[in-house]
Amino acid sequence: MTKSAANRELDPITVEVVRNKLEGIANEMQQTLLRSSFSPIVKEGLDASSSLFTIRGETLAQATAIPIHLATLIPIIEKILQVYPLATMKQGDVYCMNDPYLGGTHLPDVALVQPVFVGGRPIAISAAMTHHQDMGGMAPGSIPTNATEIFQEGLRLPPLKFRDAGKYNETLVAIIRQNVRIPDAVMGDLNAQLAACNVGARRIAELAADLGDNHALAIFDELLDRSEKLTRAALKSIPEGTYRYVDFNDNDGIELDKNIRFEVAVTVKDGTFHCDFTGSSPQVRGPFNCVPSGSLAAACYAVRAVTDPDIPTNAGCFRPISLALPKGSVVNPLEPAPVNSRTSTIKRITGCILGALKDVLPERVPADNSGEMLALMFGGHYRDGAAFVTGELIAGGSGAGLESDGVDVIETDVTNCMNLPVEAMEIDAPIRVHRIALRQDSGGAGAQRGGLGVVKEYEILDGDISFTYRGERHFFASQGSRGGGEGAKAYAVIKRVDGDEEVIPSKMMATLKRGDRVVIETAGGAGNGAPTARDRTALATDIADGKVSVEQARAQYGQA
Amino acid sequence: MTSAASQRSFEIGVDIGGTFTDIVCREAGGAMHVIKVPTTRGDPSEAVIKSIAEIRDRWGIGAHEVTRFTHGTTVATNAVLERKGARIGLITTAGFRDVLEIARQWRTQVYRVVLQPEAPVFLAPRRYRKEVPERLDATGAVLTPLDEEAVVRAADELVKEGVEAIAISFLFSFKNPAHERQAADLIRARHPGLMLSLSHEVDPAFREYERTVVTAFDAYVKPRVDSYLARLEGGLAQAGISAPLQVMQSRGGLASARVARDRPVRLFLSGPAAGVIGGQIVGASAATDNLITIDIGGTSADIALISRRKPMLRSEGVIAGHAVRVAMVDVTTIGAGGGSIAHLDAAGGLRVGPHSAGSEPGPACYGRGGQEATVTDASVVLGYLDPDFFAGGRLKLVPDKAAETIERRVAKPLDMTTAQAALGIHRVLNTQMAEGIRLVSVRQGIDPRTYSLVPLGGAGGIHATALSRELGIRRIIVPRIPGVLAAAGLLAAPIEHEVSADFATPIKGLDLAALRDKLREIDKRAAQLIAAEKVEAAAVTITYSADVCYIGQSYNLEIPLHLDDPDPAGRLYRDFLEAHDRIYGHSVDSPAKIVGLHAVHRAGGSDVLEEMRFAPIDGPKELGRRDIMVAGETAFVAAVVYDRDALPEGFAFAGPAIVQQSDTTTLVEPGWSGIVDAAGNLILTRDGE
Repeated sequence: MTKSAANRELDPITVEVVRNKLEGIANEMQQTLLRSSFSPIVKEGLDASSSLFTIRGETLAQATAIPIHLATLIPIIEKILQVYPLATMKQGDVYCMNDPYLGGTHLPDVALVQPVFVGGRPIAISAAMTHHQDMGGMAPGSIPTNATEIFQEGLRLPPLKFRDAGKYNETLVAIIRQNVRIPDAVMGDLNAQLAACNVGARRIAELAADLGDNHALAIFDELLDRSEKLTRAALKSIPEGTYRYVDFNDNDGIELDKNIRFEVAVTVKDGTFHCDFTGSSPQVRGPFNCVPSGSLAAACYAVRAVTDPDIPTNAGCFRPISLALPKGSVVNPLEPAPVNSRTSTIKRITGCILGALKDVLPERVPADNSGEMLALMFGGHYRDGAAFVTGELIAGGSGAGLESDGVDVIETDVTNCMNLPVEAMEIDAPIRVHRIALRQDSGGAGAQRGGLGVVKEYEILDGDISFTYRGERHFFASQGSRGGGEGAKAYAVIKRVDGDEEVIPSKMMATLKRGDRVVIETAGGAGNGAPTARDRTALATDIADGKVSVEQARAQYGQA
Repeated sequence: MTSAASQRSFEIGVDIGGTFTDIVCREAGGAMHVIKVPTTRGDPSEAVIKSIAEIRDRWGIGAHEVTRFTHGTTVATNAVLERKGARIGLITTAGFRDVLEIARQWRTQVYRVVLQPEAPVFLAPRRYRKEVPERLDATGAVLTPLDEEAVVRAADELVKEGVEAIAISFLFSFKNPAHERQAADLIRARHPGLMLSLSHEVDPAFREYERTVVTAFDAYVKPRVDSYLARLEGGLAQAGISAPLQVMQSRGGLASARVARDRPVRLFLSGPAAGVIGGQIVGASAATDNLITIDIGGTSADIALISRRKPMLRSEGVIAGHAVRVAMVDVTTIGAGGGSIAHLDAAGGLRVGPHSAGSEPGPACYGRGGQEATVTDASVVLGYLDPDFFAGGRLKLVPDKAAETIERRVAKPLDMTTAQAALGIHRVLNTQMAEGIRLVSVRQGIDPRTYSLVPLGGAGGIHATALSRELGIRRIIVPRIPGVLAAAGLLAAPIEHEVSADFATPIKGLDLAALRDKLREIDKRAAQLIAAEKVEAAAVTITYSADVCYIGQSYNLEIPLHLDDPDPAGRLYRDFLEAHDRIYGHSVDSPAKIVGLHAVHRAGGSDVLEEMRFAPIDGPKELGRRDIMVAGETAFVAAVVYDRDALPEGFAFAGPAIVQQSDTTTLVEPGWSGIVDAAGNLILTRDGE
């Protein structure tokens, strides 16, 4: 190819047209995935994502509804390409995998991966991942908080063919169906993933046929190079150095008195971004370990958050990132450590990476978020014997920025789930909610105040109900920036009908009886800047709104 | 009155846009008159009143001859966008005043870490939210009676704070409205002038945040909409017009001003809904049932679908970034338009939008100091736009500025010719718009290739063939009068009232008697509303629908109810499965349930406007030739320029061609042919189809 021919082929306009199409294709896949999935967890929790990859396994375009999925398919594609080299793949093959120790995340997240062929030649890979309602194991939903090894968590799938040249692998389908509690729903969601992969494959094939496959491949490479260049340029604007942060999770749900340490050293140098987790706790007995794909998602999220949001998201953005994850630690556990509840771990890893940068990038990184996504589950039986399970995910406050207050009760960083309407819960379960209210004084004090947590009170109308509580920030508060105060710690208590009170130590499984009440208070986000510097009108408004009490205004803000 | 003149009858439609107020006036069986007057932003009703004098002076139409006055308004929308709604109070069940502020704890910008509030707290900051003891359970049974003293105290405090309206939202009010009614009665008795919005009336469905926020929005815009429509009604009366004022609702149906004032939250898409009905008229005039309309303006493009001659609706819309649970025509806005700015990113890549040059200073070719290269500048460079005939000649474009800016901003840095750069800008923008249309189509479960494209807005015609090529669309309908379609849509829309109710039951073993009872109950309310419109009962058609979902699912589809079917429940279930399959790509035989019911009472309306007959003007059809550059060509080609107004029915031509008219320009690329149909539409088809 002559130089001028190469130049003409990669004319910047065609490159931009292709970029827009790739984003459109990823969005169309995602729309198909969300629309055709059966599970509420996908429809309301948006716990699913679609991606296009190059044949080398680099992300070309991605549609994620929640950032925890960012880049998590990368190790899976890598593994599949290792087990099934490209040369052995055929048109109509679809591969499937979920094993966290081979590159997955946790067992409910199952990936489907489909190579795309044009003229008999593979030119891209189309993939979709969905959090399934159940993958078997010791507990419905396959996220048992009391698991101590991965074998209890559900069915482990190594890289396998889900479809072979367009035909289902009936052996695999039979095994999956036999091992999950709701086989029809699981198959329905897998077929939704298949539909999404098909949309991606069809449109990528059309695109490559229009462009010519060599041309398409060259453009794909060019797009990755550009995002890399933009990301490196943005990283270079961060002062070089190594920035450290330490934070803790409360415990692993099994050994309640043992906190979990996260230590990170983020080195930003010459357009690269290296995160070293040396100093973090050894792996834990409970299911809060996080396999490397989770730490990668956290680092990718942090890089996307501190660089220019207009940079097209693809593998180029991730090339400057490297991770050092000590083997046998909570961020890189050894098999068969349990991993299902890794969400709070990924949140804390993300918080640490961002926290390390908050002093050097005060305009872009706020004070600590509550860093809590409280998970509650209630299960039991109605009077007529029918079983019910209901639960919700509850947020705390966000951290205050340099020039803006934190937001009260809002999902932060890598998660983004909706809460459960009180009316939905009361229709479905013998539970009454007595209040849902902003938690006064829970936002970290500061020139900019941290976001408030929430207080919620439940009453059990009919026993026995098995109750699971998975919290964080009960023992370690979010930390302020530039003299801002810490957010309030989370707190929860069971008030028994006989008057006894049991404080919940961050994680708990308990049985609730009729008349028992549970009061939860989620953590606040931290403050930014000295509280005494807070604008007095803003403080007066906070007092009028009851977000800050007169007592706290005096004690922390120096209000006369 | 017995004179011949009194038998004349005129209907007027007035649509208020950002720049112009469009007035369409038609006489039954006669011609349709159109005028445009500048919008009066301070009080939009001024322009409307002025236009009545203009109608009288220009066409000799007397006020008493006006039998119907229809209106699309932006007042409700602007009150929210500009945050100029009323100060309101919110009264809730004790323990739940913060539901409005906590919302669904969800955020829209996932990669942003310094967050901004997502919930519309501005509607009622915490100090204006009061709680009163009262509680119902999930069946609507009273657990705690309403504390009347607390209601009075809360209302008194709020009034003292200067609120103009109060929203009341109690838990489970959709099961049992007694407490909300009781509270409203108490407040009305004490503060007679105060406006109220009650959640069980505004949105009787479960999920307390969604119901509360839509009720608060209703209260927030109510005083503004009320005074605006009162002024307008007063002005019309003063001008001698006794015809009822009807206002377009977001669903695409008209309601009397009285009802509109009562439920203003249904007016957020008043203008766009009229535009979609306008698209429907165009489709009907070209005997086409399935349409994609794309209205391309300066800063954005609005996409809507018309399927089987009905606008597609969505059950939840978005206003100023906030989801509101009120049915609307499904109009999707993407940030791509004529003013979209082309620029190079730090890696030297070409990007188009999402930033726009707007109208001030606007594209460089406007000659108002704009320094950015925009899509409109590219259109000038490519020869698509006649610099002397832009917007009907109202704005003279400066081609040198367009060329110079594209040269400087894009061509030179990318080492290409100005024309290549301009073509590139178009290709990128067209790709974005095509992907936008694809996404809307996938969401509604339709295949765009089986639809016709209707380009609207000043820039729609420029991009129509390129978009169709991209999407595999084979037929384009360019309306004759795209500039005033929204106003024409007002004349074509039916009067429509929708009433809904909570009704939760599995479809299996459906108690038909209970269903009919519930429908009779909501029918009664809908009948009262439509009776106030002074239409004959015989002219009213009634349709019912049910919100249905699989048991265990938490989102639902609205499915028509056929009570005349021998097995209404069976039919409903089958239709649900079919809709599920169409929209979501699959369905299974799992049990489903009804969660809510709707009755829609409709009267009048016809998307066939006979008055849209046209007569070509005398004059040359061809205005000359212009060199244009189109995709796939390496050099400029000569295109014939046609005067749209002079083209008669049956006139046919082949691309490359440009068709000019005062409010838009249509580019017919090579490979496309055009023909003028009986209604004056320009039908473009791809050669070889």
